[in-house]
Amino acid sequence: MITFGDSILYVSVFLSAIALVGLILKELKNIDILTRFVSPMILLTTGLLTFAYLLITYYFVVSDFTYEYVWQYSSRDLPMIYKIAGTWAGQPGTYLLWVWVIFISAAWLAQTTKHATPLARRTQIITLATGIYFTVLTLIQTPFKSIYEFSNVPPGFVPPDGSGLNALLVNFWMTVHPPLMFIGYAAMTIPFATAIVYLLTKDEGWEELGRQWARFTWLFLGMGIAVGGVWAYLVLGWGGFWAWDPVETASFIPWLTLTGYLHAAALHRKNKTTFSIAAPMLAAVSFILVLYAAIVVRSGLFNSVHAFGETSTGSLLLISALVTTIVSLVLGMRRYFEEPETVEEDRGFWNKTNIFYTTLLLFVVLAFISFWGITFPVFIQLTQGLKVGVASDTKNFFNIWSYPFTIILLLALGFCLNYKESEKDKQIKTLVTVAALSVITMFLRTENFYVLDHASPFFVREPTVYKLIGSISVISIFPSLIYATWATVKRLQEYLRITSLRPRIKGIGIAIVHFGVVFILFGAVISSNFTYTMNNVNIPLSAKGNLVDIGSGYSVKVLDLSTSSLTGNTDSYPGTPIADVLANPSSFEGTSVKISGKITNLNSLQGHGTLVELTDNSGSMWVVFPGNITETIGAGLTVTGNIMSGFDTPVLSVVDGDRLDISDKYNVQNVKLEVYQNNRKIGSGVAEYLQGKGGSGTFPLVDSSITGTDVYVIFQGESGGIIPLTLKIIPAVNFAWAGILLFAFGIILIMAVKSRSG
Amino acid sequence: MKTKKLLTILVLILIISFAYESYNIALSKFTLSDKENTYLGGIKFYRSDFGLEKGFQVAQQENKPVMVYFWAIWCQYCAKFQTDTLGNPDVKKILEQDYVLVAMDLDVDRDVSSRYGVGYPPYLIFMDPNGNVLQRVPGAVDANYLLPIVTQVRDTVRSK
Repeated sequence: MITFGDSILYVSVFLSAIALVGLILKELKNIDILTRFVSPMILLTTGLLTFAYLLITYYFVVSDFTYEYVWQYSSRDLPMIYKIAGTWAGQPGTYLLWVWVIFISAAWLAQTTKHATPLARRTQIITLATGIYFTVLTLIQTPFKSIYEFSNVPPGFVPPDGSGLNALLVNFWMTVHPPLMFIGYAAMTIPFATAIVYLLTKDEGWEELGRQWARFTWLFLGMGIAVGGVWAYLVLGWGGFWAWDPVETASFIPWLTLTGYLHAAALHRKNKTTFSIAAPMLAAVSFILVLYAAIVVRSGLFNSVHAFGETSTGSLLLISALVTTIVSLVLGMRRYFEEPETVEEDRGFWNKTNIFYTTLLLFVVLAFISFWGITFPVFIQLTQGLKVGVASDTKNFFNIWSYPFTIILLLALGFCLNYKESEKDKQIKTLVTVAALSVITMFLRTENFYVLDHASPFFVREPTVYKLIGSISVISIFPSLIYATWATVKRLQEYLRITSLRPRIKGIGIAIVHFGVVFILFGAVISSNFTYTMNNVNIPLSAKGNLVDIGSGYSVKVLDLSTSSLTGNTDSYPGTPIADVLANPSSFEGTSVKISGKITNLNSLQGHGTLVELTDNSGSMWVVFPGNITETIGAGLTVTGNIMSGFDTPVLSVVDGDRLDISDKYNVQNVKLEVYQNNRKIGSGVAEYLQGKGGSGTFPLVDSSITGTDVYVIFQGESGGIIPLTLKIIPAVNFAWAGILLFAFGIILIMAVKSRSG
Repeated sequence: MKTKKLLTILVLILIISFAYESYNIALSKFTLSDKENTYLGGIKFYRSDFGLEKGFQVAQQENKPVMVYFWAIWCQYCAKFQTDTLGNPDVKKILEQDYVLVAMDLDVDRDVSSRYGVGYPPYLIFMDPNGNVLQRVPGAVDANYLLPIVTQVRDTVRSK
């Protein structure tokens, strides 16, 4: 059965195929019969895909659970914004988003170029072919799959409710992170297409045609990754803002090579013989790595916290990545051997091209380190059936190998940004001095300010090489960091002196982006090395309102603990609220009490009954069943019984119990608190603990101060009258966030200038 | 042109030697699972559902309890749980001497995980030799919490 949504996709494939054939006929045989249909067909396809995306959004909004995708990622009690965000919660929806954006870029190409030049037509051919391929992938894994296609679903059956969005995704960041990522992925298509055309035909306009798209991709991909980092920072268990998880690393790799491409393009556009192979190859590689990122997420081969499971399109993506790789390599090689061996005068090593080329290679090396680190364990798993780790602690692998190259990259940044042929000798001296300082500071001994944390139990298990690099003092980053800052400031002063407006704005943009690099590295290094952690801080509920000393000069005041439903459905637990029982147990003695809640813990008393912890919106308490029970953790129960005396915390002995359907899927516990250091308030706010589908989510209190330090408090859910907290003091992390904003602001300035010049 | 070629070759050599070195280090030092066993926190486990079957056979012969450990390579807490909790000398000694140990990789052994209702790592399930669940320990608990449990479960099974 073909659903309405699928039929739109089929028509899209058909229409865009007409456009593609029209362009190919024009290119190869100069036949014009279909030429005038090309642009209308592309626009029509873009319109249809827009409609398709709106259609799936509509199904989510009205909770039409007869579509499997809607059923799987939504439920009635979700707030509207998360119903809409459900469209990009799973693979089928993100494929549709991807295709849609590819066709928006195709439409842009059609409108701006009118397919007037061979370059435009050829670029459009590759863009359309990519778009059609992804539409086919979308059809294979369609979001419009009806539940009636499953043999066990009776005709006419309408599920009363969806299975709901994973609790960790019910969060503001879910509304921005996936769209940014997938718009970034899709926008990579045009720079790739122009690069392939250039490799084929040497058409010199390629860089200009793809320029804004490359910057746009860099912005969206970068912001997508950054927002993912912010999200991971704000959710406990995802390892802070950067954990080198395969999926996040996979999206970082194309961003690195794309950064390399933007640098190559900057020189290539001034002199077409410079980087005539490196630039297009970097664009092609970035696209291939985007495909690779999709494979990492969608093949089921990579083990990640972003669990999406195995899917049917993994192998098709792999094929497309392989084909693109081979085509790019062959074309690149051909160009390399065609290129006449220019006999340039030997200007020695120190000239702008060589130094820029070193920078490009550094981006490639950094990209390769990340690529290799996520790839070879999977390779070993597939070929030898062994599961290996890359280091005793995964992140150590990436940190030690990336660190030395990051320093060299900073040195290159400082040198390149200010490079002047006339002042070369002086500048080389400065560079050598800073480099020497970097090397010397690597050997400084500190308490524990090394590339790897020496106090961590993993350190001793690392191999000698890793320990050696891990023992480099992180002080060594400062000479190059200061050098890079100084160079950027100096460059900015020069840009500010330029009188004509556009180059000045663009220059300011470039300087801002490079300041961003300094900020991000500073924030990342300081915050990951100097975070202070205090685990197992248990505040009794009875101390509410009082300042509790937790040692080391810190104290905590719990102001309030409340529980609410994410969707405002508060009275789904019949009986007396547990908090009322806990507050005054003696008033219930001698009478029978009815309470309800969700089973959050279960202990068999070995023939003496079963001890069950029930949690409702207000709190949790233990109840004892005389025998064994069949319910499991997560199920709802309503019980009636008597309060047993003689325990520290009240326990209810169950006389009668009944199963309770917990229709409310998302519950939030909020604890409002203040943190003091030496009796001075350093932070306050609310820490949340969310329970729902797919487990629980912990959203810590994060209070930033003007110095860039965060007070970070994790709350893991009230249990038995205790509020368990973890306190962290994280310095400088806000510098990293500021750096990311500088990235965005700078690249937008650069883009703004270009669009005016046409 | 020459300089660039030289740089490229230099970087290629660098990349290849890095790749070769790290590949071999991982194979020789960081094998987490082979065909039969899983090695975590310096402890050897049987692995997967066939390991669980074998584990029950051994457990019945020797009248030992079975501990199943659910883990995942991407799990941020597992690594610390393995070194600090399972790897705690007291806990480790009891586990290795008195238990049959089985590890389930949440990425591979999805069926077993859902059969036992395990949704996230780390997670421990203690069973008697006949497969009856005696105790569940979800989450990265510390050694002080786990030690009484491993002792109690062992004594329960022994006394039967």
